Amino acid sequence: MTTSLLRRPGLALSVLVVALVVLAACLPGLLAPADPLRGVPEQRFQPPSASHWFGTDELGRDLYARVVHGAALSLKATLVAVAVAFVAGGAIGGVAGFAGGRIDGVLMRAVDVLLSIPALFLSLALVTALGRGTLNVAVAVGAASVAAFSRVMRAEVLRVRQAAYVDAARVCGVRWGGVLFRHVLPNARGPVIALATLDLGTAVLAVASLGFLGYGAPPPAPEWGTLISGGRDYLANAWWLSTLPGLVVVATVLSLNRIARALDGERLHR
Amino acid sequence: MRLYVLHRMGQAAVVLWAAYTVSFLILVLLPGDAIAALTGAGGAAASVSPERLAELRREYGVDKPVLVQYGTHLADAVRGDFGASFATGRPVGSLIAEALPQTLTLTLTALALALVLGAGVALAATYGSRPWLRQLLLSLPPLVGSVPAFWVGLMLIQFLSFRFRIFPAFGDDGWRGLVLPALTLAVPTAAIVAQVLARSLTTALAEPYVRTARAKGAGPVRVHLRHALRNASLPALTVAGLLVGGLLANSVLVETVFSRNGLGRVIVAAVTAQDVPVVQGVVVLSAAVFVVVNLIVDLLSPLVDPRIVLTGTGGRT
Amino acid sequence: MSRTPVCRTARRGRRLHALPIALVALLPLAACASGGADDDGGATTARPGGTLTFAVATDAGCADPQQVGSSDTLYSLRQTVDSLTDQNPETGEIVPWLAASWEVSKDAKTFTFRLRPGVTFSDGTPLTAQAVKDSFDAVPKLGALAVQATGYVEGYAGTEVVDDLTAAISFKQPNAQFLQATTTSALAVVSSASAKRTPQERCTDGVVGTGPFVLADYTPNQSATLTRRDDYAWGSSLWKKEGAAYLDKLVFTVVPESGVRTGSLTSGQVDAIGRLAQAEEAAIKGAGAGLVGYTIPGIGYNLGLNSSKPALQDVKVRQAVKVAINRKQIVETVFSSGTRPATSVLAENTPGYTDLSAELAYDSEQAKKLLDDAGWTPGPDGIRTKDGAKLTLKTVWFSNVAVFKPALELLQQQLKDVGIDLALTELQVAQFPALLKSGDFDAFWGGNYNRADPDALRTLYSTKLVNAYRVPASPLDALLDQQAAEPDPARRDGLVAEAQRLIVTNAYVVPVVDQRTVLGVSGKVHDLRFAGSGDIHLHDAWKS
Repeated sequence: MTTSLLRRPGLALSVLVVALVVLAACLPGLLAPADPLRGVPEQRFQPPSASHWFGTDELGRDLYARVVHGAALSLKATLVAVAVAFVAGGAIGGVAGFAGGRIDGVLMRAVDVLLSIPALFLSLALVTALGRGTLNVAVAVGAASVAAFSRVMRAEVLRVRQAAYVDAARVCGVRWGGVLFRHVLPNARGPVIALATLDLGTAVLAVASLGFLGYGAPPPAPEWGTLISGGRDYLANAWWLSTLPGLVVVATVLSLNRIARALDGERLHR
Repeated sequence: MRLYVLHRMGQAAVVLWAAYTVSFLILVLLPGDAIAALTGAGGAAASVSPERLAELRREYGVDKPVLVQYGTHLADAVRGDFGASFATGRPVGSLIAEALPQTLTLTLTALALALVLGAGVALAATYGSRPWLRQLLLSLPPLVGSVPAFWVGLMLIQFLSFRFRIFPAFGDDGWRGLVLPALTLAVPTAAIVAQVLARSLTTALAEPYVRTARAKGAGPVRVHLRHALRNASLPALTVAGLLVGGLLANSVLVETVFSRNGLGRVIVAAVTAQDVPVVQGVVVLSAAVFVVVNLIVDLLSPLVDPRIVLTGTGGRT
Repeated sequence: MSRTPVCRTARRGRRLHALPIALVALLPLAACASGGADDDGGATTARPGGTLTFAVATDAGCADPQQVGSSDTLYSLRQTVDSLTDQNPETGEIVPWLAASWEVSKDAKTFTFRLRPGVTFSDGTPLTAQAVKDSFDAVPKLGALAVQATGYVEGYAGTEVVDDLTAAISFKQPNAQFLQATTTSALAVVSSASAKRTPQERCTDGVVGTGPFVLADYTPNQSATLTRRDDYAWGSSLWKKEGAAYLDKLVFTVVPESGVRTGSLTSGQVDAIGRLAQAEEAAIKGAGAGLVGYTIPGIGYNLGLNSSKPALQDVKVRQAVKVAINRKQIVETVFSSGTRPATSVLAENTPGYTDLSAELAYDSEQAKKLLDDAGWTPGPDGIRTKDGAKLTLKTVWFSNVAVFKPALELLQQQLKDVGIDLALTELQVAQFPALLKSGDFDAFWGGNYNRADPDALRTLYSTKLVNAYRVPASPLDALLDQQAAEPDPARRDGLVAEAQRLIVTNAYVVPVVDQRTVLGVSGKVHDLRFAGSGDIHLHDAWKS
C-alpha cells in the first residue's frame, strides 16, 4: 500500500489532504490555536499574513482558525448526508434488487419520482420544512441523493444475485437472509462504497450551495459553506473571505474524488 | 413501438402525479404558512391582529383541511390550472411562462456549450498519445467538478465584468449578458460529460470492433470519431436526463448570482414565501422535462446502437 | 458622511400661496433639508434628461405602493404617486403636497384636507375630493400585503366630500397619528379607477397616481421602468425644482448579490445601488461614487425581551442586558457609516424623541453587579447559573438584513463577557406569527418599525394590541392611549417622552442601534434625497 501510494503522488496528496481535514475535525486546536469565535473588531478585514494565514473576517476573527474549526461541522454534515443517502438508498435498492417483481417495480418508480425532481429543488423544499441548521441541511442533501444510491445498489444486487456463488449458496440450502447478508451485500459493496466516497464530495458542494442560498449553520458556527457565502458580500474589498475557504472545499472534494476513483479502479483491477 | 410509447406515457403520468404529491406533502409540512409570510417580518407583522390573519387565511383557502386543499388543487392541476400565486395573485401558468424562456435560453446555451467543451476534452484526452497531456486533460473534469458553481460565477464576474469590463454582470439583454451565466452553468455539466465520455471512449477503443476497423485500415481519426465515439456516446446519452435536471437545479444558483429572471429565481422566492401553487407548478414542470428528456433518449438509443430493441413492457434494462 | 445641509432659501416665495391658511404646519421660511448625493454647490448646473439606473436588492412582487412595505420596491413605486402631505426629513414637520392646507378637529377624529387645484392623474382624470374619498375608502379592503396602510386607517369611519376640492376624513376613535400617515406612500392617492380594482389586480398592473413618473413596465423580481410625466406641476413643497422632473427615465433592476451591486456601481454599470454594507463603502468611495444615508425614523433595531420568561421577569436581568451591550463597538464594527448607537427606543429623528443615552451607556461592571444581585452566579464555563438553570437566552432572528448576522455575533460576544449566553435561532419570516402566538423565545432581534410618528410605540408595545414581548400591564398603556388622542403636539411630546422612559428603564426592549439606510450613488448623479419616511424622491435628481 505504501509503495503503491508513493508511485501515485496525486493519490498520496489526496490521502494527506483528507487526513488533514479529519485531523482538523477531531483536534482543531492542534492545527489552529486561535479562537475561531472571538476576534478583535479593530483588526477586521486584514489580508492574509504571517499572523493570520487566511486573513481576518468582518469581526476580526482569524479565518484560518474558522476554516479549521469549521471542518468538524462540515465533515459531520457531509457524513450525515452520505449516511442518509447510503442507508436509505441502499435499503431501497437492495430490497428492490433482491425481491424483484412488483416490489421492484413500485420502488423503482418511487426512485424515478425522486430523480425527476432536481436535487437542489428537493433539498430546498426539505430544508425549509425541517428548519435551518447543519443537521437538517445534511438530511435534506442526503435525501436528494437517495435515488442515485438506490439505482447503483439495485444494479449491483442484480449482478451479484446472478453470480454463480449465490446460486451455489442457494443450492446448498442457505436461507435468503443468509445469502443476502453473507454473499450478496458484501460483494455488492464495492461500487456503492466508491459511490459513497464520490458522494462525500458532492455532499460538501451541496451543503455549500444551500449555505450560499442562506440555509447554513447558525452563527457563530464557522461551517464551510456559510464561510464562502458569508464572504461573498465582501468580494469587492476582501477577496480572501470567500476565495480561501472555497479553495479548501475544492481541495477536499478533489481529494475525495481522487480516492473514490482509486477505490473504483482497485475494484476493477482485482 | 406504439405500445412502448403509450406505456411510457402512462409511466410519465404516474411520475408527474407523484412529484406533485411529494411537493404538496413537503409544503404542508412547512412550519408557518403563506399568509404569515405575506404579512412580513418584524414590526409590520406585529401590528396585524390575529383576527385579520384568520380572515386572510379564509380568503386564500388555507384554513380548509389538508385533504380538501389537496383534492381541489389536484383537480385543477389535471386541467392544467395550477391556481394563482399566494404572494402576487398572478396565475402560476403565466408566472412560469414568463420565466421559462429565459431559463430555457440559459440552460440550452449552457447545454450546447457543455457538450462541446466536454466532448472536446474527452476526445482530446483519449486521442492524444502523449501520456502527460492525456493525464492533464483527464484530471481537468474532476478538478472542475470540485468547484462550487456559484463560486465560479462570482470569480467570473469579479474578473471578466468588474475588472476587465468585457461582459455585463447582470441583465437579460442580448448575448453579451448570456455569456457569463451560460459559462458558469456549463462548466460543471461539461465536467460530467467529459468524465462519462472519456471513460466510455476508453472502453470502446479497447473493443474488438475497433481493432477490426483498425485492421481494415481505417485512420485514427476515423476510428475515433466514426466508430468509438458513436458507441461511446450512448452512456453519455443515458445521463442526459440527469444533466438537464442538474442544469435546472444549478440555474437556481446561477440566476441568483447573475440576477437573471427565470425558473430558479421563481422557485427560491416561492419556497421562502411558502407559495405552494408556484412551487408545485415548477416542480411538476421540471419533472415533466426530466420525463420527456428520458423518453427522447430512450427512443433515440436504438438509432445510436442498433443492438437495443424497445419492447412494450419495460423498455431497456 | 460628507453631506451638509443646504439651505434652500431661494425657494421661499414659490409656494406662499400654498401655506396652510388654517392650522398645523407652517412651512419654515428657510426650509433646511439634507440628503443630497453631493453638494458641489453649483460647480455644475442641473440639466434635464438622461436615464437613471438603480440596482435594488429585492422586489416585493407587487406594483402597488399602497400595499408594498419594502423600501427596495418603494424606491421605484414612490415616484409614481403623490401624497396629501409631505414630511420634512430633518424636522419631522408635515408640509403641503397634494393638500394645500388641512385642519385637524379638536378630538383628533376628523381631518379636513383642501386640495391643490389643477392636479391630474396620469390617465388624465382630475384630482378631486371624490377621488380622495374613493382612494381612502378602498384602503381598509386591501389584502394581506398592505398591513401598514390598513393599520394607519384603523377605525376608518368614512370620507365626506365637502366640495369639489375639500375632503374630510374621519375616524371612530381619536387618531393623532393619521396626519403623519398621509405623508407615506401607503396612503398615497390613487385614481378612482385604480381604487375600484382588486388588491391583486393592483399588484399585477400597478396603480394610476399623480406622481412625477409613470410606471411604463414592471416585471416582478426583475425590473421596473418609469418614464417622466412632462405635464407634472404639483411637487411637494419640499422639492427644489418646479414642474416636471429632470430625468427622462428611471430603470430599477433587481440585483440580489450585494457584491454584484457594488461592483456594478464601481464599474459604471449602474448609477445607484441600495442596501449597502459598511465593508463596501471604501470600495465605492474609492471608485469616485458617493454615499447617501438616512436614519429611518421610528423604532430602531433592538433586542426585545420576553417579560413572561422566568429569568426575564426580573427587571435586574433585563437591565443587565441593557448595560452589557457596547453599542458603540457594534456600530463601528458592523453598521454603515453614520449609524448612531440607540439613545432611546425611538430613533433620534422621530418626532417626540427624547434622549435617554445615560440609561443606555455601556457598563459591564454594572451588568455583572445587577446579575449578582439577581442571584445569578458565574458557572464553570463563564455562563451564569441560578438554581441549576443556565442564563441562556433563546434569541430568534431573521436573516432578511445582511448585517444582522455579524451584529448578532458581536452582541453574543459582549453578553458572554458578563455571563449571558445568547443562543441564536434563525427562523423564516413565515414563522413569525406562530412564534408570537407560542411565545417560545427569550429575546427577539430586530423589532424595528419604520414610522415617523411616535404612535409606533403604541403599535408595538401597548398590552392591548399584539404585545409580542409579553409586557405586563402598567401605566405605560394609559400613556400610549393618551398620546394617540392628543392633538396638541407639545402635550403629545410630553406623554411620548414619558412612555419612552418607562420602556427603556424597565428594559422591556433593549434598543441597540438606530436603523440607517445607505445608498451608493455614482458621482454623476446629483440631488438624490431621502424623504421623511425613508423613501427617496427622484423628482429633483439629475445626471451630469
